[in-house]
Amino acid sequence: MHIQLTSQAYCKMLLHTAKYPHCAVNGLLVAEKTKEKKKDGHGGPVLCVDCVPLFHGTLALAPMLEVALTLIDSWCKENNYVIVGYYQANEQTQDSRPNQVAQKVAARISENFNEAVIVMVDSSRLTMSCFEPIVFIYDHVENKWKNREVTTDAFEDWNEAQTITSALLVGRSYENLIDFDNHLDDLRNDWTNPAINKSVLDLC
Amino acid sequence: MASLSEMYDVGWEEMRDKLRKWREDNCRNSEQIVDVGEELISEHSSKLGDDIWIIYEQVMIAALDCSRDDLALTCLQELRKQFPDSHRVKRLTGMRLEALERYDDANKHYDAILQEDPTNTAARKRKISILRAQGKSTEAIRELNEYLEQFVGDQEAWHELSELYINEHDYGKAAFCLEELMMTNPHNHLYCEQYAEVKYTQGGMENLELARKYFAQALRLNNRNMRALFGLYMSASHIAASPKVSAKVKKDNIKYAAWAAAQINRAYKMAGRGNKDNKCSIKAVEEMLESMQIAMP
Repeated sequence: MHIQLTSQAYCKMLLHTAKYPHCAVNGLLVAEKTKEKKKDGHGGPVLCVDCVPLFHGTLALAPMLEVALTLIDSWCKENNYVIVGYYQANEQTQDSRPNQVAQKVAARISENFNEAVIVMVDSSRLTMSCFEPIVFIYDHVENKWKNREVTTDAFEDWNEAQTITSALLVGRSYENLIDFDNHLDDLRNDWTNPAINKSVLDLC
Repeated sequence: MASLSEMYDVGWEEMRDKLRKWREDNCRNSEQIVDVGEELISEHSSKLGDDIWIIYEQVMIAALDCSRDDLALTCLQELRKQFPDSHRVKRLTGMRLEALERYDDANKHYDAILQEDPTNTAARKRKISILRAQGKSTEAIRELNEYLEQFVGDQEAWHELSELYINEHDYGKAAFCLEELMMTNPHNHLYCEQYAEVKYTQGGMENLELARKYFAQALRLNNRNMRALFGLYMSASHIAASPKVSAKVKKDNIKYAAWAAAQINRAYKMAGRGNKDNKCSIKAVEEMLESMQIAMP
């Protein structure tokens, strides 16, 4: 499946990674639900318009993950979104392969969206300037997760994504990024991150 | 560039108190610690009295986290001057080597400390941290188990071990570690709740029921623990939905789940007060709870 990341989706993934450099982090990718269903599956690219940062630290426990998936699913239905993928940055910066947790969550997402992708963030290449895309995109092909080459085609507008992400990293916006863990610590923390979304819009 | 105290109109006492709070809570907000600590040290060191040494230590570790080797070295040198033979300071030297990824040198350094003082727990734990940093989980687990045989009361170590086991998906052993922690800290709601999460993840009816009980216990200890509340809801719902349970168990769990759902809704309504934008969360929660409602036969 050809997916494209918007600036908002990409930058929030990287902000989440930057906020917890010493932890593994993960989250979900969402796209707008389209009514058209092309039989041959070769429609336009699926545009990941947003991401929802989920957890940091211990990712391998089930109950809160289930809560998050169900809650975010409800939220998606309200907003005509669908969960199309999962992102993760590992604790070990030198290892950016999808592990068991990633595969399990992606399998769960695939029940609802059969071309779900895993996006692994390569935190070893995380820089303030964001001069190159630092994600790996994995598709489920023949029962295995295969890495595909990531070019600027994977972005709706790479230059914009780069500029915005870099600006927000330099401005330390990640300090205000809310993930689902933060939300569970204090329900007033909004995991849709309206403030950051607004900053992204202002920079567009 | 404006100083922090100018930008935020805080005095040096507030900055010192903030650092103390972060020390007590063991926060890893290293960038903030560096910002506050660096200014405190450079502008107000004379006013800090003996606090300055522990601040140097705190700021040094935070500086390592932020790749501020210049600042880390400054702090380290001050500490070395003041405490020339201290093992505690030697541990900081080792940590700096770790930050520079000079793991072999760091290990030699810690071994030297252990030669002089075989009971030095800090050096042993740093060696285990190096194994974790290198991705050597199996060795880290083994070393940590050996360490705990000797230092059975070290809670930080039990917690670290539970994390390592969870990352390896060895939930049974993670549960054991959390059981140790619950025994020695019966009033700690976080350990109860984490134990329940591990049991839930392990799966199976027995574990689900245990999970539900421990989520409930965590709530008794702290009725604002949202994870425990959600956990109680999820485990009770799953038990009630299972075809293998008796009618009574089903009925009881539907009651527990309904109670939890009401509490969850209430918590969201209270959180959403005064914040119009949060409405989507409330609605999503209501829908989620509705979608999971179990029908009575």
